[in-house]
Formats: sequence, C-alpha cells, structure tokens
Amino acid sequence: MTTIAANRPSELRRAQARAGYLFILPSFVLYLTFVLAPVIVTFLLSFTYYDAIDGASFVGLDNFVRFLTDERSLQIFWNTLRFTFFAVTFNVGVGLALAMALNRAMPAFLLYFFRLAFFLPVIIAAAFVSIVWGYFYGDDLGVINYYLIRLGFAPVRWLTSSSTAMMSIIIMDVWKNTGFFMIIFIAALQGVPKNIMDAAVMDGANWWRRFSRIILPFISPVIFFNIVYASIGAMQVYESIVILTQGGPGDSTRSMSILIVEEAFGSFEIGYAASVSVVLTLVILVITSLQLIASRRWVSY
Amino acid sequence: MFSKGLQTRATARWVDWGIIAVMAVIGVFMLMPFLWLFSMSFRPVADAYKMPPSFIPPTLDFTNYRAVLASDVPFLRIYWNSVQIAVLVTVGQLVTCTLAAFAFARLSFPGRDSLFFVMLIGLMFPAQVTIIPIYLGYAQTGLLNQPLGLALMYLTSSFGVFLVRQFMRSQPKALEEAALMDGAGYFKIFWRISLPQLRPALSALGIITFTQTWNYYFQARVLLEPQDAMTLPVAMDMLRGFMGQGNLSMVMAAMSMAVLPVILIFLVAQKLVIEGVTMSGIKH
Repeated sequence: MTTIAANRPSELRRAQARAGYLFILPSFVLYLTFVLAPVIVTFLLSFTYYDAIDGASFVGLDNFVRFLTDERSLQIFWNTLRFTFFAVTFNVGVGLALAMALNRAMPAFLLYFFRLAFFLPVIIAAAFVSIVWGYFYGDDLGVINYYLIRLGFAPVRWLTSSSTAMMSIIIMDVWKNTGFFMIIFIAALQGVPKNIMDAAVMDGANWWRRFSRIILPFISPVIFFNIVYASIGAMQVYESIVILTQGGPGDSTRSMSILIVEEAFGSFEIGYAASVSVVLTLVILVITSLQLIASRRWVSY
Repeated sequence: MFSKGLQTRATARWVDWGIIAVMAVIGVFMLMPFLWLFSMSFRPVADAYKMPPSFIPPTLDFTNYRAVLASDVPFLRIYWNSVQIAVLVTVGQLVTCTLAAFAFARLSFPGRDSLFFVMLIGLMFPAQVTIIPIYLGYAQTGLLNQPLGLALMYLTSSFGVFLVRQFMRSQPKALEEAALMDGAGYFKIFWRISLPQLRPALSALGIITFTQTWNYYFQARVLLEPQDAMTLPVAMDMLRGFMGQGNLSMVMAAMSMAVLPVILIFLVAQKLVIEGVTMSGIKH
C-alpha cells in the first residue's frame, strides 16, 4: 500500500482525500444535525402555523405580520434593543476605562488580584450571579437598600418597579461582563507602539491628545470587535432577566429570547416562536453588518 | 531641565499608585457578591437576613451544606448530571474538533475550503434559532429530558474546529511530511506528531468548553424538565423557590458547591482561562 502510494501520486491524493473526509465526518455530521438543519427548519417553520395535532400548515408571512403589528411583541423587541444599547455602551466603555487604568507596570500579586476580581464574574454562569444579585436587589431585605438607608438615601425598588428594573439588570450585566472587554482592551493597549507614545510625550502632547490621536485610532479595530461581540451576546439575553424579574414587572424587562421560549414551549405557538427567532437572528446579522460597514469609516487597520 | 524631568517622573509614579489604589477598591467591590455568597453559606439559617450582612464568614460551619445534601431536592443527582454533561462535551469536542481541524489544516481534498466555510457559518447563528427544531426532534426520539441528549448536541463546535485549525496552521509541516515519506498513515501522523504539539490549544479549548457547558442555561432549561434531569444552573433557580425565603443560607451553600469547579479551574489555570476565554470571543 505504502509503496504504491509513494509511486503513484493520484493514488496518494485519493488516499488523502479519503482520510480528509473521514477526519471531518464526525464533526460535520453533528454540525449538520444540530446547527445547519435546525436553522433551515426554523426558517421554514416561521412561515407556518404549527400545532402538535394537525402539524404544520403554510401561512405565508402571517407570523411576521403578527410580530410587527402586536404591541406586546414590539414592546419586547424594543426592550431587547434598549438593553443591548445600554449594556454594550457601558460594558465596552467601562471595560476600556478599566483597561486604561490597569495598563501600567505593577507587582505580580496586584496583577493576580485584578485578574481575579474582574474576571471571576465573566466565567461564572449568569444564572448563578443573577440569584446572588437578586438578593442584593431585594426591596426590604436587600443588601443594597440596607446600605442606602444607612447612608440616608431612600431605598430603591430595584426589580419591582417597571421604571428601574431594566436599569438594574443592565448594572448587573456590566458588573458581570465588563471584565471580558477589559482584558481584550488590555491586550490591545499593550500593542500600542511605545516609541510613538514616547515621541508624543517628548513633543508635549497632553493625555487627551495622546489618547485621542494615538491610542484610539490604534485600538479602533478592537473597539469595533468588542462592540460587535457585546451586541451579539446582549441581543440574546435570557437567564439574567428570567431569574431577576421573569420579564416583569408587566413586560418591562421581557426579552426576545424569553418571548421565544414562552411562545414555543409555554403556549406551543411553534410557528410564531420560530418567526421571532428568525427576526432575532436577522437583527443580529444586521447589527453585525452595519458595524462592519461603519467600521470601514472609522477603523484604521 | 534634568531635575524637572525627575520631578515629573516622581509625580507620575504617585498618579500610577493612586490609580492602582482606586482600582483595588473597585476590585474589592467586584468580589463582594462572591464574598457574600460564601459567607452566607456558612451562616446559621436563622441569621440569614441579619443586617448588616457579613462579607467574611463568621464561622466555618458546614451545616447548610449537609442540609442541602439531605434535602428533598436531588442535589447530588443534579450535580452528577452537570459533571457528566460537561465532561462528555469537553472530551467530545476535543476529539471531533481536532480531527476535523487536522483535515482542514493539513490534508487536501476536493471541497475542503467550501466545507470549512459551511462550518464557519455556524458561528453566526444564535441558540434561539436552533432550539425549536432540536426540541421537536428530541421529543420524537426520546432524547428529551435526558441529560445526555443535551450533551449530544454539543459534541462538536465550529468555534473549536476553527480554534484548533488556526493553531495547526502555524506549526511546521516538515515532521509530518517526513513521517508520510516513511509510510505512516494519516491517523498515525495526527496522533503521534500533530496532537502532541497541540497541547496549548487543547487545554484552551478544554477549559473554555468545560466552563461554557457547566454554565449552559437556555438550552438546559428548555430540554431538561424534570428535577432529576436538570443541570445546576437551572436547578439553582428551582432550589431558590423550594428553600425559599428563610433558607437563604442553604441556597447559598448549594450555589457555592455549584460554582466551585469553575472557580477552582480559574485559580489553578488563571492565565490559560483568560487566554482561552479571550480567544472564545469569537463565539458566545
């Protein structure tokens, strides 16, 4: 076998192709079954009315029309966009500020401490941290209100008032995720050429000028990456909200992911739920491409 | 001139330390919820809501932990589900992703690049767009409410294939070519030459996969309904309801056990975790 393969290039090529297909087979079959095929099925289901007894019947764009004309689903859509906007802005903004502050020489134990403090929330499940924060946010027995009162402030109804609940979820989200963006920014800041910074200092450029003229343009691709990445995650927000407020009070914090689960597995409106997932996926794709287009204008690669 | 330069450098040092001090305070605040969580788990149930809250455990009393294990909630069973799923998915991804990555990085065959592209497309789709068909399919095949059913759908990932392939592409090919000349088969080359060089990539992928799988909520909540099929993140929510108002300490003892594996991994492999999770920035 081996001598033949060595003598005949076409046989060698065929053997290589065979090996290639065999090597990708397990991965590819699983991928087709659990990603690609379901995506296609969801897309098809979104044009149907589907129930367990009669099966699916084609209804055209009805589900999408329903989504766009239903006040409740529009409210939920708006909640999701609002959450995404604020969560992304603060996560990326605070992450950058923290990274700027930590981007300096320091003893190893401090580095260890900062990594621990800012990164631990990132790797712990949102489900777990939401339960802890749920107790922090309690009206009467909550830790935060206890200290607010002690300091002479009025207690806040963090999760039980529709005007503050979304904000409370965003605060927790920033606490949980900003460390991720901080770490990526630190890596980017370490790549800013030192000789250019030194030259700017020599020329008497102040902090703001160095930041806006050298650092910002240099790290703009990373800012762009962080914004895209944060938006994709925030659009899918689910467990933080389900655990903290179950989507309430009213619908004030309900997100599209919650709507999908409720419609599909609560009311068994499978077709409608599928169309909501298609809308969510499309919005994620649109945000990603808008940011790609926008980035051509201001990202200097 | 010279003395002025020295002076500004001295001021700069003070500013540096000032910023670090402020950051240290923020860092302590970041850790507060964790301190509270562990501290609560050691508090007697009666003192759970005593104010001011303690952030340092008053005693090291494991009563609450024993109470969780003795409760009606099948905590050990749920824990075992989480362990099984996370280990299976991690091992599964290490196998399937490295095999596929080897083919995509090292072998040439018709359609290779298109197939790789098709797999990369998978990175774009959120879990919400696949969950309904998977649920329907699982309901028909009896995989619903089976912890191993959840594991099955994560035995491979586009991200893993991509990550390992990137690593493989940066390795020199000479050794493999020499082995091929000596008549070694492709699997032998993969196993004996490629794999040993991939250790950093594999540990990164392993750590990311384990922590991600341990934390899955959305899919687990939909696909695993009964108590003894649940995983920890979902069960914790239910536990909270069960143990309710007065038993905060017990809920926190259960939580402490639930977050322990991820915290241990982090403490042991801090640098690797951060690199790994940073790399995973490509996929949520």
